[in-house]
Amino acid sequence: MKGGHRITGLHLYVEGLISYLSVREIIRYLKRWMKGSDIDFRGNFFRYHLKSLSKEERQERARRFAQELAFLRIRDVARRDLGDRRPMEGEVAYERRRIEQDNFRSFGILYDGFGFQRIFSSLISEDERYLNHCHIIFTNQLLGTWDEDDHRYHARVSVYGFPSLISTTGVVEAPAKPREFYLKRRLGIPLEVLKTEFKGRFIDYGDSRLTEILKGYVMQVLFFHMTGNPFCDDPHCRLYNAHWQEELIRAQLDGDYGFCRSHLRFLNRHAGSRKVREKGVGPSSRGH
Amino acid sequence: MEERKLFSQVGEKEVTRAIVGEFAKQFMDYVESDCLIIGGGPSGLMAGKELASKGVKTLIVERNNYLGGGFWIGGYLMNKVTVRDPAQAVLGELGVPYEGVNSGLYVADGPHACSKLIAAACDAGVKFANMSIFDDVVLREGNRVSGAVINWTPISALPREITCVDPIALESTFVIDSTGHDACVVRKLEERGIVKTAGFGAMWVDMSEDLVVEHTGEVHPGLVVIGMAVATTYGLPRMGPTFGAMLLSGKKGAEVVMEKLG
Repeated sequence: MKGGHRITGLHLYVEGLISYLSVREIIRYLKRWMKGSDIDFRGNFFRYHLKSLSKEERQERARRFAQELAFLRIRDVARRDLGDRRPMEGEVAYERRRIEQDNFRSFGILYDGFGFQRIFSSLISEDERYLNHCHIIFTNQLLGTWDEDDHRYHARVSVYGFPSLISTTGVVEAPAKPREFYLKRRLGIPLEVLKTEFKGRFIDYGDSRLTEILKGYVMQVLFFHMTGNPFCDDPHCRLYNAHWQEELIRAQLDGDYGFCRSHLRFLNRHAGSRKVREKGVGPSSRGH
Repeated sequence: MEERKLFSQVGEKEVTRAIVGEFAKQFMDYVESDCLIIGGGPSGLMAGKELASKGVKTLIVERNNYLGGGFWIGGYLMNKVTVRDPAQAVLGELGVPYEGVNSGLYVADGPHACSKLIAAACDAGVKFANMSIFDDVVLREGNRVSGAVINWTPISALPREITCVDPIALESTFVIDSTGHDACVVRKLEERGIVKTAGFGAMWVDMSEDLVVEHTGEVHPGLVVIGMAVATTYGLPRMGPTFGAMLLSGKKGAEVVMEKLG
């Protein structure tokens, strides 16, 4: 793995109400690894980037964004037909409230992740649209991306780019729960019963381990910015692209080490971090 | 010695006259109302109770003989119903005993909760047309929804050639669609090309109750959508068998109607 772009400005945002997210703790964690970077927390993304506009301009932009966001709702995961259907007034009004209210609670609609990213991207100022600036938004909304392999949308935890989006609803919904969970669900066993039976084997809403998990996803964003590849093949490395909840828990919470040897070496050499050993050092990963 | 009878002597014809007379009197009165609620499940009953308690003339049309929809039982045919915080406050208002299961989740007896809600709607002054099925909407200028066309439920269950019975129309200032996943009233507007619904949501998200309450409102002039009909109308994710969103959506729907009525 060769040296990559250096990140000088790391900007964190939130969108919506997220329980058990401690941005302060994530910043503390990031400072261990990104010693030479300025890290700031900017609060609500829309509020931060619209604040320089006049009230009328703000309202106009909010109206336009609400319309655009309403177009990004995925109705059928097997169809790529965004924009074919004009949103209903109630949908636009909902998006407008979501934009204008801090700590908006509702979530669960599946949006096109790249479309979501495009809307956010259009708000980032010109001087911060460089590789040395990294914008990360923690959102409680559920994001999906179209997969050309099986021609379906899949829910995602993260969508990397400018800005990078990390979905806390995605942490719960995107990586699959144990197979037996779905089999039993199909038999009609109530969710609450299954949650007790499978306790600890998947991340649920209101899980106090959320912040710890998000640290790994934030590091994936940083690797995306620095090297172009956010993932690692090592299932114990925090950069592992988990498709199952049990994989996510192993990589982010129960792994034998924080980062594999090669990613730890990269961080120590290129990211300006102090030399850190997290829970031991893993074997070298392949493909970087 | 004269034989004592527990009940007074009343002939069959008097009983029939009482039924027909009272039904006709009420029906005549409610041919025109402030709010017509289609569907007598938990959200419809809740909306009706809220509206009638504020003096809004409200009629609930229910296709079944019984009221309450799915509120009698929870998931898996088990008669315990669950609500998430803050909907337990509604159970408290109705006088339904409930217990906390864990943080933010409450459970109550389905029959107790459902019967209390029906009683509360009746006490507030809601009137009912049960065994009556929604057939069509009444539209006025600008396609404003101004009532509903209904028929007896058994009519719809029989072959058309036997039961060529025309429906009748009821007028109202507002119509509320609380017909659950079917969203019958909204679907009827869709058939006419007036609105376009989104159908069921793409994902199962078990905490999507907020979305139903958030999207509760006027979907077309004169038509307010509440309860699970909201999920169908807007293509929101499906939910588990928790009833908090139904109760709070009903409350919010009533607030929307009250605000519009002025």
